[in-house]
Amino acid sequence: MAGWIILGIFVLGILWLIVIYNGLIAKRNDVQGSWKQIDVQLNRRHDLIPNLVSTVKGALEFEQDTLEKVISARAKAVGATGPQSKAEAENMLTQALGKLFAVMENYPDLKSNQNVMQLQEELTSTENRIAFARQLYNDLVANYRTALQVFPSNFVSSMFNFRTEEYFEAPAETKAVPAVNLSIRK
Amino acid sequence: MPLTFIDIERQKNWRIVLFFLVLMALYLLAAALFFAALLPGPLSAEPRFWVFLVIAAALTASIHFWFSASNAVDTVVRRLNAQPPDLKDDVHRMFANIIQELHVVTGAKRNIRCAVIPSLSLNALAAADLKGNAVIAITEGLLSRLSRPQVEAVVAHEAHHILSGDCLETTVAASIFGTFSSAMEKVRYSSSNRLFASPAFLLAWVLLQLGYLVNLFISREREYRADAAAVRMTRNPLALAETLHFLSRGWRGAGFIGSGFEMLCIVNPVATTLDETEGFLPDLLSTHPPIKKRLEILLQMARVSITELDANAERRSGRKGTDAQERYFVMSPARLWQGPFTAGELDALPWLSPLTWVANGKGKTAERAWKDPLLNTIFLRRLAGDGRIESGFTCPVCKQPLVTAAYEGTQIVQCGFCAGTLVENGRIPRIIARTGRERPCTERLNALARSVLQQNQARNIYRKVAARGAGQVPLLPCPKCKNPMFRGFYSTAHLIEVDRCSNCGLTWFDQDELEMLQCLIENRLLPDITVAVKD
Ligand SMILES: [Zn+2]
Ligand SMILES: [Zn+2]
Ligand SMILES: [Zn+2]
Repeated sequence: MAGWIILGIFVLGILWLIVIYNGLIAKRNDVQGSWKQIDVQLNRRHDLIPNLVSTVKGALEFEQDTLEKVISARAKAVGATGPQSKAEAENMLTQALGKLFAVMENYPDLKSNQNVMQLQEELTSTENRIAFARQLYNDLVANYRTALQVFPSNFVSSMFNFRTEEYFEAPAETKAVPAVNLSIRK
Repeated sequence: MPLTFIDIERQKNWRIVLFFLVLMALYLLAAALFFAALLPGPLSAEPRFWVFLVIAAALTASIHFWFSASNAVDTVVRRLNAQPPDLKDDVHRMFANIIQELHVVTGAKRNIRCAVIPSLSLNALAAADLKGNAVIAITEGLLSRLSRPQVEAVVAHEAHHILSGDCLETTVAASIFGTFSSAMEKVRYSSSNRLFASPAFLLAWVLLQLGYLVNLFISREREYRADAAAVRMTRNPLALAETLHFLSRGWRGAGFIGSGFEMLCIVNPVATTLDETEGFLPDLLSTHPPIKKRLEILLQMARVSITELDANAERRSGRKGTDAQERYFVMSPARLWQGPFTAGELDALPWLSPLTWVANGKGKTAERAWKDPLLNTIFLRRLAGDGRIESGFTCPVCKQPLVTAAYEGTQIVQCGFCAGTLVENGRIPRIIARTGRERPCTERLNALARSVLQQNQARNIYRKVAARGAGQVPLLPCPKCKNPMFRGFYSTAHLIEVDRCSNCGLTWFDQDELEMLQCLIENRLLPDITVAVKD
């Protein structure tokens, strides 16, 4: 009789381990999946930039400096590997692009050029997607890290050597962040 | 933080069960009445009869429930004739892009379609159904008149409805009980009066009235929550505030977006007094909160976000703000907050106007620049610098003194900032008679006049058919006596909307409205009386 009970507890213990292990794996896969999403969007941006540069080059004769910066920032970003250095290079590129867009505002000819406007829309959309993908990634990393640290899943994580994941650092905040309370009352 | 929707708590959808029970009770009631009339006497007292009745009612209700709620998204899309965006069109492409961005933020956990409603009205709606489909639809009119950040705000608002699950609730309610009402509206429009007396119509009418009870369970709160979520995602409270204000003054699609869909919309297509009031009863019965209240909350959020920006700027520059001088943040034409500026620095900004959004160290919300007395002196000086003559009237929009000007050989009063025009009623015929003498109708004005006419025509027909007024739109104060001006069409033949004070005999035209009126008359652009009401 006692043997059966011990066996039962043993089986339950194994089941419990499996459940926690699978939960951790799922969280880690979420993190890796969302990293791929960032990559997709970053590549999209890398692909769009040469088009934009060649389209506006003629009109921006006196802004070669700004254009050069965009091109070199892109080259660096394409070459970067690993979350840390990638984040740095991409943030540089974001800034260079922001500068270019600001400069383009001063050229009304560009605004009436449909091709330029379409490229700009695609790039704006991509910028947003990068920001959102990064946010999703960071949230999922935070989720995963918590799971690695709290009891009882921390036993399982150390037993199977789950590694922690790095955050993708955002550029310095340039847009104001409104404090929002979702449980708002009238 | 942008909203990633990881943390959106899905609501318990117990109300959907409730809707089913209400529906079943309705059918049970109808059947009981029917049989009571048909088979009087002892039969109806038998318990077996009642069991049968309950089962029959439950069955009918289930069928009705399943057919209307399972495929509700397709039904909504079909009934509004909403089309997927045309990717070759720049504006549609932007909308599609924004929806794609939304999928990135949600980790593509939920597939949301987007659609464009072919109407010049201004509204947006979201629908979701039991099969897991979801759609965000925006009218062509709204889409083409909003900037990108504004469309982002609208999409984020609707997305929160879908992801939090309250959209499923409203869609189910709308499709179960709204089917009746839109069917009734069609009958009313085709206006074959005999139908009104038929029993089927009466039954539909009773169900429709009971359907309004559903509003009891659709809380206003969800709109506030969706607004807040939209701000969290887009970080741009002013974009949403501007959109809501814009919607509140325009045609929101009453008559086109069938009633029954109201609760899916971002603003109620029919402007009602109930929606715009607070209190126990309106809170209970109305599905949309007052736009004024929503704006107030959004402007407060904008204010908070600026304080943060201010702190960031201080940290970066490493210097403490000097409190001796008032510091301002302003929203640039590129829709970005800039600052901090002193009043003197603001004066140097050529694009600063009374309608620019400004936040200073004191106020609780972001405000239009004209509300700040110090900034008003800047505008006054600019006016004086132009050497124009003040008329003693105040612009109802930007609250700046209006100046006199010559126009088509007569005298009018104009705002130097928003380009609005105030004309004494007696002078309008003169201006119209002299059209083309000084300023010919340009291609742009003609096109504008045509599209406004087209839009207002549909609106006018609806008003006649439904015998309802404009409802509650925010009214401008009269530049002379400060009483609210009446907003309506210039005349039934000239469908340009103007604001009028009957006391003072004055008419206020917003930018381009006077010119459009002239072009309408010059080119004989009259409402097409052959246009029949389409469903
Ligand atoms: Zn809403
Ligand atoms: Zn004005
Ligand atoms: Zn008056």
